[in-house]
Amino acid sequence: MTETNTSALEPSGDPVRVGVYVCHCGGNISDVIDTKAVAAALAAHPNVAVSNDYMFMCSDPGQALIIDDIKANHINRVVVAACSPTLHEITFRKALQRAGLNPYLFEYVNIREQASWVHKGDHEGATRKAVRLVAAGVEKVVRQDELFPIKVGVEPHVVVVGGGVAGMSAAVALAGRGLGVTLVEKGVALGGRVADLDRVYPTEERGADLVQDLTRQVEGHSRIDVRLGSEVVGLDGHVGKFAVTVRTSSAAPDDQDHLVRAGAVVIATGFDHYKPAQGEHGFGESPAVVTLPDFQAALRQCPASRRGLQVNGRPARSVAFIHCVGSRQIDGVHAPQADGKVNDYCSRTCCTATLHTIRQVQSRFPDVDVYDLHKDIRTYGRGHEAYYEDASRAGALFFRFPDEEPPTFAASTGGEYAGTVTTRDILTWGEELEIPVDLVVLATGMVPRDIASLIDLRKLPVGADRFLQEVHPKLRPVETGVAGILLAGACQGPMDINEACTAAQTAAVKAAILLANPTIELDPFVAVVDGERCDGCGKCLAECEYVGALTMADVEQAGATVRHAVVNPAMCVGCGACAAVCSPRAINVAGWTLDQFDAMVDAIIAEDVGALAHTECRAGVRHIEFAVISGGN
Amino acid sequence: MSPEDDLKILIITTMISSYPGANTVGQARLQYSPGTFIVRVPDPVMLPEEFYLDSFAKGIDGIIIMSSGSDCPYEGAYPRLSKRAGRVYARMKEQGIDTSRLKLTTICTVCKAAFLKEIREMQQNILKAKAA
Ligand SMILES: Cc1cc2nc3c(=O)[nH]c(=O)nc-3n(C[C@H](O)[C@H](O)[C@H](O)COP(=O)(O)OP(=O)(O)OC[C@H]3O[C@@H](n4cnc5c(N)ncnc54)[C@H](O)[C@@H]3O)c2cc1C
Repeated sequence: MTETNTSALEPSGDPVRVGVYVCHCGGNISDVIDTKAVAAALAAHPNVAVSNDYMFMCSDPGQALIIDDIKANHINRVVVAACSPTLHEITFRKALQRAGLNPYLFEYVNIREQASWVHKGDHEGATRKAVRLVAAGVEKVVRQDELFPIKVGVEPHVVVVGGGVAGMSAAVALAGRGLGVTLVEKGVALGGRVADLDRVYPTEERGADLVQDLTRQVEGHSRIDVRLGSEVVGLDGHVGKFAVTVRTSSAAPDDQDHLVRAGAVVIATGFDHYKPAQGEHGFGESPAVVTLPDFQAALRQCPASRRGLQVNGRPARSVAFIHCVGSRQIDGVHAPQADGKVNDYCSRTCCTATLHTIRQVQSRFPDVDVYDLHKDIRTYGRGHEAYYEDASRAGALFFRFPDEEPPTFAASTGGEYAGTVTTRDILTWGEELEIPVDLVVLATGMVPRDIASLIDLRKLPVGADRFLQEVHPKLRPVETGVAGILLAGACQGPMDINEACTAAQTAAVKAAILLANPTIELDPFVAVVDGERCDGCGKCLAECEYVGALTMADVEQAGATVRHAVVNPAMCVGCGACAAVCSPRAINVAGWTLDQFDAMVDAIIAEDVGALAHTECRAGVRHIEFAVISGGN
Repeated sequence: MSPEDDLKILIITTMISSYPGANTVGQARLQYSPGTFIVRVPDPVMLPEEFYLDSFAKGIDGIIIMSSGSDCPYEGAYPRLSKRAGRVYARMKEQGIDTSRLKLTTICTVCKAAFLKEIREMQQNILKAKAA
């Protein structure tokens, strides 16, 4: 059972007393902004009890100023004007906590990256701006509620969806950290696409050996339960307490669905090969045109004999490789995909995979003529460039075609070769070349797998390229917008084995951190309903994309049963789409209420900080705390 | 004080994208007018139509909503925001407010040039409208 509280108003009776602290940042701020003048201006605000400036607010003595004022001067709200909150928001919240004050009764105003550093030539203007920004911070903090992290009990188990190298690496790493794992693989065997590869760049190990090694680790681990031929058909609950339904179609009808309770889910469903359109570089019209994965399979099966390279039972004496098929497409040049968009992204692995394959042809069949037709050569990884250099040294000829003029293939009837590739070559100043070939190999890119049913279960975020999308590649890699659902490997974009396994280990570590303690603490910035203001209209519900985050329920209020919105704090992402449509302002994101934004605008406009109204803060501090969420759904 | 600096332009930024983008501009020490006030929000989809109209009524000269666009981590938020902006434009027209005073754009964590361009264009729009 999920327990949720909304909020409680606990009048503290204390007057609102704000402490304002303006940081010099050792001159980074004070060389431009008159920090003393800012502190003096803010002292006039009717709610400000202390206003100071100091050399380094983040230093121990700087933090001590705040702590002392909270203890000795009964400061109960704090505003620090300093660098970016990304650097020290947590530092100052902890300082408040050490002083016994709720850490969220704090506002951070950025007057360095967004003021002193960008207005160096206008000291007065920058100072005036800082006064307005700090006043806005004060207006926000006087309307701030006391917030508490949301506590969610956790299930020390993870469901990994997809048993390619990424899924297997994640499973092994998670089990190694003491967590139980259910590894759900749709196919009949583990390994994913790597199982199809012969030698893999850049290590030259066999794909099958890599897969076998990982499979042995997975199958040998007592904490990993592998479910082959299975898919996830239900994904309810929330971070810490997901209820995952795994369906194994081959099992007896009454034993197909298996419910797994898990604290986190790692998605590692990988990629599909791009399938060229009929006629794309001659594909589908001539047996002489094949894709790179098909060619690799044929190469693997082709015995080294005096007959030379044979593909589909035909000799291949002259082979042209064409890069960027299905990747880096250009609107107007390439036909759009089913969703009406072209694949404008780079598939990243195909350049090296192509050159790696060329090297295999050259070493096994040195008599074969090799032509490489590319837009660019993007052998970006460590050791990858060597394949290009070696291929070139061994006689491969490289031609660079213009973006807007991809090479074409025309089959010949009765000629010596199977056909002719025609291309323009930028490297020879736009020369048009005709290359006689027996075979054309299309370096097809990666496209996302069709996992629409999985995406729909939780409305997982999908990027413009149709791959699953992480929150932020640098700041929050492998996390999705849904807390507790993480990404690993090529399901989030083209990557090679090394990168897929690195992403998998990252996801495993993030899941392990999340589930390390019996309860998870989540940020309290989720929607909160003010029961007294909610009229039960349900407009907010229509705006919420997150299944189960917001519901309408009958609740007891002042002796009567009323219908109003109820938030499940573990499932709400805090986007605030609900708040924008609530006319009585009954629903707001905690810490980011619309009243706060209005008051900030008032402060930015105000010509005199002293003239801003004294705020009593709704007769006290609103205390927003949710009970520990202990059950699934 | 130049006329640009006397303006009050509200810049609504997102935690995940344009707020760090504004920091990147600062780290590069690129300069712009102090008549600009950056407000951090989890996502601009939380602001109702009235927020924009009331802000103009209070004396804000221009508002640039720097969204995360297709990088937005919140499902369905960007289409909702862009529809809302459309409705605000319609109401601005009804109320005789120059629609160039509101701009919905996308700024990423490293979009330095675009960040500065949006500010410059907004300033020019407002000053042109004021002169007319
Ligand atoms: C032609 C080519 C050559 C390459 N050569 C190399 C190379 O030499 N070296 C290198 O480092 N990289 C190479 N790569 C890249 C490499 O293939 C990928 O990095 C790797 O396969 C990514 O692994 P993955 O586990 O993320 O995805 P995948 O290998 O695609 O595995 C995904 C797994 O998830 C399963 N799955 C999918 N959907 C579901 C579902 N709904 N439920 C349950 N299970 C599901 C699939 O059955 C599969 O087992 C090459 C790529 C291409 C295209």
